[in-house]
Amino acid sequence: MKTMFRPALLALTIAAAISAGCANTTPSDSAASEPATKASVVEHYANLAHAGYEDALITAKALNEATDQLLANPSDANMQAAKEAWLAARVPYQQTEVFRFGNAIVDDWEGQLNAWPLDEGLIDYVQADDYQYELGNAGATANIIESNNINVGGETLDVTNLTPELLANLNEVGGSEANVATGYHAIEFLLWGQDLHGFEQGSGERPITDYATGTDCTNGNCDRRADYLDAVTDLLVSDLEWMVAQWAPGASDNYRSQLMNANANEGVQKMLFGMGSLSLGELAGERMKVALEANSYEDEHDCFSDNTHNSHYYNGQGIQNVYTGDYRRVDGSLVSGPSLSDLVEQNNPELNARLNAQLDASMKALGMMKAKAESSQNPMPFDMMIAPGNAKGASVVNRAIMALVEQTGSIEQAARQLGLEALSPDDAGHSF
Amino acid sequence: MKRLTLTLCLASSLAASPLMAADASNADSPTADYRKQWHSDILIGYQGLATQSQDLANQVEAYCQTPSPKGLEQTKQAWLEAFLAWQQVRFVDFGPVEQDNRAWQFQFWPDPKNLVARKASYLLKDDAQITPAKISESGVAVQGFPMAEYLLYDQALNNGERALPANRTCKLLLAVTNHIADNSETLVSDWSGFQNSYIGSDQYTDTTIRAAMAGLEILEERRLANPMGLRGNAKRSVYSADAWRSEASLIAADASVRGLKQHFLPAFSRLLKDREQTDLAERIAQQFDEVLANFPELDRPMAPLLADDNAFKSLQSLYIDVTQLTALVNDRAAVELGVVRGFNSSDGD
Repeated sequence: MKTMFRPALLALTIAAAISAGCANTTPSDSAASEPATKASVVEHYANLAHAGYEDALITAKALNEATDQLLANPSDANMQAAKEAWLAARVPYQQTEVFRFGNAIVDDWEGQLNAWPLDEGLIDYVQADDYQYELGNAGATANIIESNNINVGGETLDVTNLTPELLANLNEVGGSEANVATGYHAIEFLLWGQDLHGFEQGSGERPITDYATGTDCTNGNCDRRADYLDAVTDLLVSDLEWMVAQWAPGASDNYRSQLMNANANEGVQKMLFGMGSLSLGELAGERMKVALEANSYEDEHDCFSDNTHNSHYYNGQGIQNVYTGDYRRVDGSLVSGPSLSDLVEQNNPELNARLNAQLDASMKALGMMKAKAESSQNPMPFDMMIAPGNAKGASVVNRAIMALVEQTGSIEQAARQLGLEALSPDDAGHSF
Repeated sequence: MKRLTLTLCLASSLAASPLMAADASNADSPTADYRKQWHSDILIGYQGLATQSQDLANQVEAYCQTPSPKGLEQTKQAWLEAFLAWQQVRFVDFGPVEQDNRAWQFQFWPDPKNLVARKASYLLKDDAQITPAKISESGVAVQGFPMAEYLLYDQALNNGERALPANRTCKLLLAVTNHIADNSETLVSDWSGFQNSYIGSDQYTDTTIRAAMAGLEILEERRLANPMGLRGNAKRSVYSADAWRSEASLIAADASVRGLKQHFLPAFSRLLKDREQTDLAERIAQQFDEVLANFPELDRPMAPLLADDNAFKSLQSLYIDVTQLTALVNDRAAVELGVVRGFNSSDGD
């Protein structure tokens, strides 16, 4: 059960006060009035995941409705509304990415929703001289929208009926991870189009007439483009429905029940492993450091919409959520309960204070990136920050990287503090 | 897709500056002696890299002054020797090589989106002078062995008007190889300066072992399993291997294993034997030889081995030998020695 209330002025970071303040209203609250245990913390972790995926689903449904509107009436206003719905859908989804690492059920599933970088020429037209696809990818220029049959590596595939099932089967077609046919970034490409601005100001500029009917249609095959967008948004909704069910309380045959029946140490390990893996290897490393040090906008996460700063920001928020046990839902309500922070506080208040301060510092650094990118004066989105010779931009990105590196060190310490020596699930069988 | 060469490795990041003051009180700790040997063995590897890199830069200069087909072949050979010298010490992911992303500067990899080609095309078309400063500010995809390899070997480039010895291509190649030579010379001197803090700090024992473990894991997973199509639903693809343009993927793997054997294994064996793990130390040494016995037979281009199921078997036997070595070092020995792996850059996607 989630704890939901709307204390508008409560800051997200005062976990202990929140847990105490909402005692005795729901089962998870009564647990919070007792000292947190590993079992209660893992149960609340499942609550956080469930609330997060529910929010992702709610906002995906809104996106689906907005794109249906757009397809029914392709106007600039409806395109704008669809883009805003996409941006809103990213907010909760990116906060759920922390559940990916350590929970194989999420990791095996998420490629259909959030895979990147993608070779968008698989889906639709691209400007060839500004399109660098993955080396050796036979599907990189297949252009599903353009024809009823595509050829990938010598194999001809019938793509006449653009159904959600067909698109799901086309994901990673030809054995290349860059062949992303589905998910948020496929939708992003269908709304924004290719970003041809490189390191300059500006994102993708897909004309609204790409969805026009009859002779107004630009770039051809507007009906198939519309079918694609319709199917891919439907698929996003059904995929999220499946994941919400996996974390729902009260079922005996879903992932949550497995997690609850396992040793609580396993659950705590998954929590810390997810936090550390997303902090260091994925967010600081793959999503920021690679892009920065190689000056590579091909490694930009939300490259069509230039929303990368928000993807990073809400990834960071998700990490903090898991530690503090707090999650601000899209309707403004707050989920809170027994947390890792409570557990570490029982054993090592100094470490808890340090890790909380480091998580705050990371959010501050990511918040600076978000503020620079969204500045009304001189906006500097992520693809400009990583441009060669942009020392100011590089320092914004580097500060976020360093903050994440520092918090990862304390996450490792927290794991040791809680008696978990080996963080990698692969090492679970060894007697460290 | 993972870029395992990323040196965000936590252990050393937490150690503040790798050049931090030595803790003299640890200099006579029981493990200092192993680190003394590692320091000296790795220094030899770095010196080899510096020598070969300087030879490469000199050879490029000579070739570009007086181009000839023979000179081009000699330049390719000099590139290969310097690249293999880097492969030998590539496992060292801590200390001075972490500064300024030097490991990435030497080898930005993997590069699935062909950033090297894009950056080269940009620099070759640009009118601005190619200076050391220009190379320094152009990002890691420009600064190392893969860029030099691209200029020397890329087929599309070398069938076009910018093929070597075209003036601007020569200038870029010279600037890049000078950058590599400068970096490797700095690395030698920084590694020497790092001696006291390395030997004086106990934690570097585990750090060094973890570096070797990560090096083996990268070899097994990224450099072999990935191009061999053994992961996920991926297909065999030589583009997932490193150095596919020069067809040096496998000889580079050979060099990395030889590097571990020469610059890591001696002190590691001694450590294991002192902890009464003589059998394990011997099994590991044997397994190194098992892996290396695949060569020089396997010093061949990888692409034809991926294309033919029969030829693929020779790759498979190399892969199996490497997995056995990885299991012995990363599972058996690490557990016996209590080396715990923390988060590293290989986590994530």
